[in-house]
Amino acid sequence: MASPVIELRNVTLKFGAEVLLKDIRLAIEKGENFVLIGPSGQGKSTLLKLMAGLIAPTSGDVLVEGKNWRTMQGSERADIARKTGMLFQKNALFDSLTVFENVAFPLREVLHASEEEIQETVEKYLDAVGIWHSKDLYPDEISGGMQKRLGIARALALRPEIVFYDDPTAGLDPITSRKIVQLIVDLQKEMGTTVVAVTNDMNRAEQMAHRIGMVVETELIVCGTPEQTRVHPDPRVQQFINGALSGPLTVNA
Amino acid sequence: MFAMPVSILSEIGACVIFLRDVLRTLLRGRVPVHETFEQIWRVTMQSLGTTALAGFFVGAIMTIQFSLQVKAYGALGYLGGLATSGTIREVGPLLIAFMLSGKVGAFTSAELGTMRVTEQIDAIRCLGANPYREIILPRMIAIIVSSFFLLIAGLLMSIAGGCLLGLVFAGINPEEYLRHIPTIVTLPSILNGLFKCFVFSIVLATICTYKGYTTTGGAKGVGRSVVSTAVSTMVGLVIADWLTTLIADAVMQGFLGY
Repeated sequence: MASPVIELRNVTLKFGAEVLLKDIRLAIEKGENFVLIGPSGQGKSTLLKLMAGLIAPTSGDVLVEGKNWRTMQGSERADIARKTGMLFQKNALFDSLTVFENVAFPLREVLHASEEEIQETVEKYLDAVGIWHSKDLYPDEISGGMQKRLGIARALALRPEIVFYDDPTAGLDPITSRKIVQLIVDLQKEMGTTVVAVTNDMNRAEQMAHRIGMVVETELIVCGTPEQTRVHPDPRVQQFINGALSGPLTVNA
Repeated sequence: MFAMPVSILSEIGACVIFLRDVLRTLLRGRVPVHETFEQIWRVTMQSLGTTALAGFFVGAIMTIQFSLQVKAYGALGYLGGLATSGTIREVGPLLIAFMLSGKVGAFTSAELGTMRVTEQIDAIRCLGANPYREIILPRMIAIIVSSFFLLIAGLLMSIAGGCLLGLVFAGINPEEYLRHIPTIVTLPSILNGLFKCFVFSIVLATICTYKGYTTTGGAKGVGRSVVSTAVSTMVGLVIADWLTTLIADAVMQGFLGY
């Protein structure tokens, strides 16, 4: 069996005295779509940022394509970062650049592509997410759904082999969310990428996941396929996917 | 009891390490030229008006102050030279730095802070680009380069202000005011001024980009960064002024025999 694309070895993360994630072990295969679910504030996004190398774990190792974030040198880090794309929870669009320039940025600054190439690539991706007509607007002039799509287009512009989606459907209406997830799945099939996504929406998780994992109380419960998740014996998983008010999960709302 | 000085020292240390890393980035590859020129243009234009205005009044103030002193010795002819020398050696660079810290320093730290808290800086890293190269270097270089432009603009305006006030207040005609500028404002004076201007702009550029870059905690965090930029740059500039005076003095006396 080929070595996993992303591997977490006994990863523990503490903020001060508080343990956020404890002894997480996970291996994600090439071409897989792994979805993280779980209650808010339990560390789903943090886990994603650990994989993307934006945060360093307190102990344990995070490996991407067999390379450890902890021991990577500057140029290696940049290489791995180039192979990964990330959609941030709040999109993190460059608000001083237009829609077009947001997608052009990595092409220009990282690939040093020519102007024709940039024009062509940006058009292709903005077209794929259906916002080419807004190319000259600024991110704060387009709707939330369009911002998400722009975030996706920017994350994919370098043709990453691994894409992290942090809550790609947050705050979107059900139809738009379904479309966006469909877009993610289509793009994944087309480009053969590995996807790790965070979501709170079980329907969307089932729509895209090959495997589902639930982050809860510092643990990662790897539940398996959506079918296996539905019948998973852990009562916390059952409570979460059914949205039950009473159960072992205390929701700090 | 030692918590405060220790935290101040560690902050200064972190700031110096930040500067080192940025300089390392500078040495290791190209600078985004277009962005840098854009920033130079923005910083210069943003502050040109106020600098010119302040320069004019500094010239005026220096002239009035000096005229009271030199009148007693009947040396009014030297007024222009003295005022200009004082401006280029000390008041000009410091004033430009204060001016820039209020306008550009606050702006830069708020801008970078917002980019930090909205994860735009993380996004740059995730795209495989280097935030130091993409956003820090252009801003630092812009502040340093612009401060020279502004120093020159401020200086010219201070001569104009001095001339006018000299005429009105002490009855010196402009020709006489200008005549002794070249004899008193010597090369060491000019170098001294440029040296100070350079050091001040580095202090300012480092502090405001560092504070912005390391912002945490949302809108409040950005507010905190801006305030602490204002405070730290003021303190940093005054200390830098003292240090540069010391160094410049030692150099002048030791090597040039002034």
